[in-house]
Amino acid sequence: MANFFPRWTNWLPLKIAICGAFIVAGLTGATWYYVTPKYTRVGYTPVQPVPFPHDIHVSQIGMDCRYCHSFVDVAAHSNLPNTQTCMACHQQVQKDNPKLEPVRASWKSGQPVEWVQLHRTPDYVFYNHAAHVNRGISCASCHGQVNRMSVVRHEKPHSMAWCLECHRHPERFLRPETQITNLDWKPEWEKPAEFVAKYGQPKDAKDDWSKKEKLTQEEIGQTLKERWNIQPTINCQGCHR
Amino acid sequence: MKRVFEHPPEKLTGKRYWRSLDELSDTPEFRGWLEREFPSGAAQLNGDEWSRRGFLKLMGASMALAGFGLTSCRRPESHLVPFTKSVEWTIPGKALYYATAMPRRTGAIPLIAATVDGRPIKIEGNPLHPGSGGATDAFAQASLLDLYDPARSKRFVEKGEKEEKGKKDEKPKKVEYFEQRDRAAFEKYLTELRTKIAADGGAGLAFLVEEVHSPTRERLRAELLKVYPKMRWCVYDPLLTEAQSFATQLSFGDNARLIPRYERADVVLALDCDFLDCGEGDLAGIRAFTSRRRVGTAKDTMNRLYAVENRFTLTGAMADHRLRCPASQIPAFTRALAGKIAVATKDQGLASTIATLTEPVNAMPFDDAWLTECANDLMAKPGASLVVAGPHQPVVVQLMVYAINSALKNVGTTMIVREFVRAPKTNSILQLAGEINSGRIKQLFILGGDPVYNAPKGITIDKDLKAPVDWPELQKKVPDVVRLGYFEDATSELSKWHVPAAHYLESWGDALTNDGAYVAIQPMILPLFGGMSELELMNAVLGNPKTEGPQLVQDTFRASAPPGDFETAWTQLLRDGFATHVALKEKPPTFNSNNAGGVAHTLWSTAPNPTLDAPEIVLTRSYNVDDGRYINNGWLQELPDPITKLTWDNAALMSPEMAKHLGVNSGDLINVAVTETTKDAQGKNIRRELVIAALISPGHADNSISISLGYGRKKTGPVGEEAGFNGYLLRNSSNPHYIAVDSKTVESISVTTAPTAAQPASPTATAAPAESPKVRARTLGTYKLAVTQDHWSIEGRGLVREATIEKYREDPEFVKKIAGDEELPHKLPSIYSHPPLNSAQQWGMAVDLNVCTGCSACIIACQAENNIPIVGKLQVTHGRAMHWLRLDRYYASEKPFNQDRGEYPENPEMVHEPMMCQHCENAPCETVCPVNATVHSEDGLNVMAYNRCIGTRYCANNCPFKVRRFNYFDYNQRPIGKKKVGPLSVYQEYIAPFTEKGAPDTTKLQKNPNVTVRMRGVMEKCTYCVQRIEEAKIAAHVKAGPSDKTRIPRDSFTSACAQACPTEAIVFGDIKDPESKVSKTKMQDRNYRLLEYLNVNTRTSYLARIRNPNPKMPDAGRIAVASLGGEGPEGPGKAKHDFEQHDKGALSPKEKP
Repeated sequence: MANFFPRWTNWLPLKIAICGAFIVAGLTGATWYYVTPKYTRVGYTPVQPVPFPHDIHVSQIGMDCRYCHSFVDVAAHSNLPNTQTCMACHQQVQKDNPKLEPVRASWKSGQPVEWVQLHRTPDYVFYNHAAHVNRGISCASCHGQVNRMSVVRHEKPHSMAWCLECHRHPERFLRPETQITNLDWKPEWEKPAEFVAKYGQPKDAKDDWSKKEKLTQEEIGQTLKERWNIQPTINCQGCHR
Repeated sequence: MKRVFEHPPEKLTGKRYWRSLDELSDTPEFRGWLEREFPSGAAQLNGDEWSRRGFLKLMGASMALAGFGLTSCRRPESHLVPFTKSVEWTIPGKALYYATAMPRRTGAIPLIAATVDGRPIKIEGNPLHPGSGGATDAFAQASLLDLYDPARSKRFVEKGEKEEKGKKDEKPKKVEYFEQRDRAAFEKYLTELRTKIAADGGAGLAFLVEEVHSPTRERLRAELLKVYPKMRWCVYDPLLTEAQSFATQLSFGDNARLIPRYERADVVLALDCDFLDCGEGDLAGIRAFTSRRRVGTAKDTMNRLYAVENRFTLTGAMADHRLRCPASQIPAFTRALAGKIAVATKDQGLASTIATLTEPVNAMPFDDAWLTECANDLMAKPGASLVVAGPHQPVVVQLMVYAINSALKNVGTTMIVREFVRAPKTNSILQLAGEINSGRIKQLFILGGDPVYNAPKGITIDKDLKAPVDWPELQKKVPDVVRLGYFEDATSELSKWHVPAAHYLESWGDALTNDGAYVAIQPMILPLFGGMSELELMNAVLGNPKTEGPQLVQDTFRASAPPGDFETAWTQLLRDGFATHVALKEKPPTFNSNNAGGVAHTLWSTAPNPTLDAPEIVLTRSYNVDDGRYINNGWLQELPDPITKLTWDNAALMSPEMAKHLGVNSGDLINVAVTETTKDAQGKNIRRELVIAALISPGHADNSISISLGYGRKKTGPVGEEAGFNGYLLRNSSNPHYIAVDSKTVESISVTTAPTAAQPASPTATAAPAESPKVRARTLGTYKLAVTQDHWSIEGRGLVREATIEKYREDPEFVKKIAGDEELPHKLPSIYSHPPLNSAQQWGMAVDLNVCTGCSACIIACQAENNIPIVGKLQVTHGRAMHWLRLDRYYASEKPFNQDRGEYPENPEMVHEPMMCQHCENAPCETVCPVNATVHSEDGLNVMAYNRCIGTRYCANNCPFKVRRFNYFDYNQRPIGKKKVGPLSVYQEYIAPFTEKGAPDTTKLQKNPNVTVRMRGVMEKCTYCVQRIEEAKIAAHVKAGPSDKTRIPRDSFTSACAQACPTEAIVFGDIKDPESKVSKTKMQDRNYRLLEYLNVNTRTSYLARIRNPNPKMPDAGRIAVASLGGEGPEGPGKAKHDFEQHDKGALSPKEKP
C-alpha cells in the first residue's frame, strides 16, 4: 500500500497545535484586554454638542460641581444642568460665543440640548450618587479630576471589580466631607492636628496622630471609616434589585 | 512602487477571437467606443493615482485595524436630555407623592399616588384618612394598570350613516360607518345639539351615569337642571342596589346612611353579606372588624362571626360558624331569627315589623339548634351585637335586620346612623327605559358604564310588540346618543358619538368617602390620549367655556365654605387629600317600626326551597373584575379568585352534591336556562340561557349555583375579550341578585349538561334526559379553567395551624405542639453555609392568619411594585403564574377527604395563607445554584442577582415552599394571549419570533424604575421589597452624612404587601430591634414557622389562626380542629406526621448529637 501522506505531513499536527495555541492565546489575551471596561470605557471621549470645558468652569472660575449637578447629593442620579442653568450666566457672559449656539437655540425653542452620555451603568445596576457623596467619597474617586479636563473623558473603568475594590477598602478613598467636591485634594494637605481634633483617630491607633508631620490616605480613611460607621455593602442587593 | 501588470501586446497576424464585425475590422469608430467603455489601463481608477488594488489593500488594512482596535465595539452613543427649564419639585429619579382618591360605587378611597418623572407608578392608601388608613384593595392597586391600558379608547368617534348603492333594482342600502374625529368636531356637534336640547327645555334630554358620589357632579347636575329643567338624570350601576338605601330611608328617615361599627360588636351575624370584601370599598369597616380578632395573648377576647350564605365568601371564610343557605332562603331565615328574638326580647318594634309576615311555604328547613343558639348569642350581648344583611337582599330582609338590631339595642352603638345627603330625584334605568320606549328621549348622554352589556334584560315592555325589549333596541331608538367610555365597547357601537374617557388619575374631581368625608381627586398626568372627564363633558353640555385645571372642583369646594383663606384651604385639601372642615353629621338612631312594618307586609314574598332539579341561580359580584369594568385589566384577570383560585374566567360554582346530581366535574359545560313568566311577542314564555363551565366549590350550598357577573364582556380589549361567561344574560330587573322559582316572575329553572330541547345546539344533539350522566356530560363539552390551586390539603405538614380560643387559653403554646416540632431534635446541624448575619438591622416578616381575610390586595400591590408580568391563561394552566406572593387557600373538614379519589368536603372551613419567599436562613435554594445567582446577605435576605442567573431552575426545585418563579417566556417583551394566524388562533408566546417584540409604550410607563424588568430565562421571587430596604438605607445614610447615625428609623418603611394590607395582617421590619412592630408580633405565642423540622430557619413566620366558636352551637366541636391532628379536639397530636415516615433513615431524635 502506497503512502497516502507525504513525509512533510509528519510535522503538520505539531505545527497546527503550536499555531492553534498561539491563536487561542492571542484571542484569549485580546478578549481579556479589549472586552474589559478598562479598555472599552476608559478613554471614551465623545464629542459633545457644546464643548463644555470643565477646567475653565471649575479650576479657573472656581465653580462647585453642585452648581450644575445640583441633585447629586440628594438623588440617585447626578443630573445634568438644564438650559436654564447655563443661561443664568451665559445671558451675560460669552453671550455671542458661537460654540454656545446650541444652548441659545435650546433656550429659544424649548428643545433640550442632547448631551452625549459618557458614564453609563447597565440597567440592572442601581447606583446612588447621594449615598456616596454624603459619606466621604469624592467625585474624583469615580470620575477622575474632571476639573483638569477641557474635554471630559471616561477616566475609570466602572467595572464591578473596580466598584468592589472600594467597597472592600473604603479607607483608601474616604476624605473629609468638606473636600468632596475639591477634586485636587491630597491627603498631605490635611493638617494632622486639626484633623485629629475634628475627627479623632482610630481606637487601635497606638501613637498620637496629631503629632505626625502628615497623614496618609489610609490613616485619614481609617479614621473617617470608624467615625462615620462606613460599612459599604458587598451584597448583591446593594446594587442589583 | 506601483506595479502595473501589462498584458503582452497582441499579435497582429494569425487567428484571433473577435466579438463583432466592427472589432474585427478595427474601425476608428469602434476604437473610439472601446476607449470610452474600456479605457486603456482599466485596472486604474480614472483621474486618481490609487490603483484599485491599492484601494482594496488600504481598505482591508483599515478595516482590520478598525476591527483590531475594536472601536466599532464601543457601546452605542446614547444621549442625556435634561429639562430646558426646571420643573417645580422635580428631582430626576425621585418619586413625588400626591394625595388623590379613587371614585367608587360605595364611596371614594383616599389614596396617595407615587409619580416618577411625571408618571404615576404606584398607588398606596392615604394614611391620614381613616377611609383607607394607608391601605388599599386590589382594585385601587390595579387601577394603575387601567391608566396605561393600550386597549383603552383613544379617539373621538362619530357614527354616521351613508347610503350605499346596491345592485340594480335594489334600494340604496344604509350603511353605518364609524369615523374618527377630533375634539373640536365633537364640540361643534355639542353646540348644535345644545340648541336642539334648549328648544324644549331639555324635555328630550337624559343622562345615564354611574354612581360616584361626586359633589362637583351634583353641582353641575343642579346647574344643568336650571338650564334644562325637564331633563332626566338616571343613575345605573349594575351592582348598585336600591333595596338597602330604600329600607334605610324608610326606617331612619331621609338622607340616612347606616355605618356599622364592627369594632364595638362582640357578635356579628352576616346574612348573605360579604362585608369583608374590600372590593366594596369599606376598608375602615374591615379594619374595625379585624381589630377585634387580634389576639395578642391568651387573655384577650375576640369577636364572634356567624355567616349565613350560599357560597363561600371572604366573610364566610373568616366566620366562626357558617351556615350554608341558598340566597333565596335568607328572607325565611331572617324571619325565623326575627321571630325568636322578638319572642325573647319582647321588643315592640320588631314584633310589629314581622307581625304580618306569613309563614313561608316550602321554606328550607333550618337547623333549629343553630338558629336558637345564634339568636341567644346575639341577645346575650345587647348593644354589642350586630346583624348585617347583604345589600342585594330584598327590602323586607333589610327592614327585619334593622328591626332586629333595634331590638338588640345595637342602633346607635354598633350601627350608627349618619346623615349622607343623597342626590334628589334620581331615576332608575327602568324609568329611563320606559321613557325611551315612549319616544320622549331625544338626546341621551351615557357617562361611563356599559348598559348594552350589563343593563337588565327585558328592561321594559315595548308598546308595539307588547313584549319585553332589551336595552340595545332602546338605545337604537334615541337619535343622539353621546357616550363617554373608557373602551370602545358594545355601548359605543350603538352611540352616535363616542368620547374617550379620562382615567381618574388624569382628571380633576372630588368625591365623598363611604362615611361622607370630602376628598379631592388630583390628576397625576395629563390625559394620555386626550380623554375627557365626566365633569368636563357636563360642563361642555352646559355651554360653559372649557375650564383649565381644577376650576370646576374649586368652585364646589368654595361652596363648602372652608375656613380661612381659600387658597390655604385648597392647598391643604390637595396636600392632605381630604377636607377636615366638612363635618360628618349623625342622625338620631330611632327605628321607625310603623313604616317598616307596613312596607314589609306589602313586599313580603318568599321563594320555596330550591331543589337539585330546579336550583336557584345567584348572580354575584366578581372579586376580580367587579361588575365587568376591570375586564381588560390583566393584573386582575390573572389574580386568582380568593375562594376558587380561578383566573381569567368565571364559572358556575356549585356544591359537590349538585355536581354529582348533574354528573359534571369542574370544567364541564352546563346549560343554565331560566324560563320567565313574562311572554315574548309570540306569546311564549321568555327563556334565557347561558352555557357556562361548572366549578365544584366545597362549602357551597346545595340547590344553588353562583355565577359571578362581569365576564363575557366582548369588545373591550385583548385581555378581557375571551374571558369567561356573561352572567348578565340571565339577569332581569326583577331578579338582580338571585333567580329562584317563585311562581311570580320565574316559572322554571333548569340546569342541564345537554343543550335544551328549545334550542338544540346541533340537530343531532337533541334533549336526551334518559341518558346516563356520563353521556350527558359529554354533550356540551368541557372548558379549560385556569385554577391555580386545585389541591386543597396541607398533607399533615402543619402549614396552617388553628385552634379555638378555648383551646388557646388552655394551652397558649398549642401552636408548637400541633406540628409536632417538639418531637424533633432540638437543633439539627445545618450543612448549609451562609454569611454571618451580623448587620445592625435584620429583616423579617410576620403574617397574622387570624386577621388575613384573603382579599388579595397584597398580590396586586406586589405585582405593581415589583414589575411582575402577566403570563396569560395558558401559562397559568401550566403552573407558570409569576406572582411572587400567592394566597394559599386550604379547606378543613371534620371528616378526612381524599381529593384524589374525587371526595369532597361538604361543609368545610376555609383558611387563607399568604405564601411568599420565606427567606430561610439555611436556604436550600442557595446551595444548588451553580452560578451563585441566589445568595444570602448579611441582613438576612435571600437575594437574587438576575444578571447572574442562567436559568437552571435548580433553586426552584429545591425550594420547599415553591415560591420561586421562572420566566419561561419573555413575558415583558412579547404579547400574551392568542393571535389569529389565518384560520388558526395560536398562543403568541409559542410563535414569539413572529410576533412583534417590545411592550406597548404605555405599559412601560408603569414600571417601577427601581426594580429590574426581568427577561426570559431568569428566576425571580419575593425579595422582601429589597428596593425599599435599600432606599431606606440610602436615605438614612444620606441623612447621617458625616456622622455614624446610619440606622434606619424603626418601622419607617414597609414592604408593598404589608403597606397594602387593609387589616395589617402582614408586618415587615427589623427583627433585631425588640421594639419594632414585627418583633412584637413575633413575640406572641401564636407565632410559628413553616417546616421548622427541616431546619430552614425561615425569616417569615405566621401567627396561628384562632376561631371563636360558640360552645353551645351544634357544630362547635368541629370548628378549627383540623390542624390539631385531624382527630377532633380529643386527640390532638395523635396523628403522626408524614415526614417521619418519609425520613425513616434520617436522623431520629434519639441519635441527635
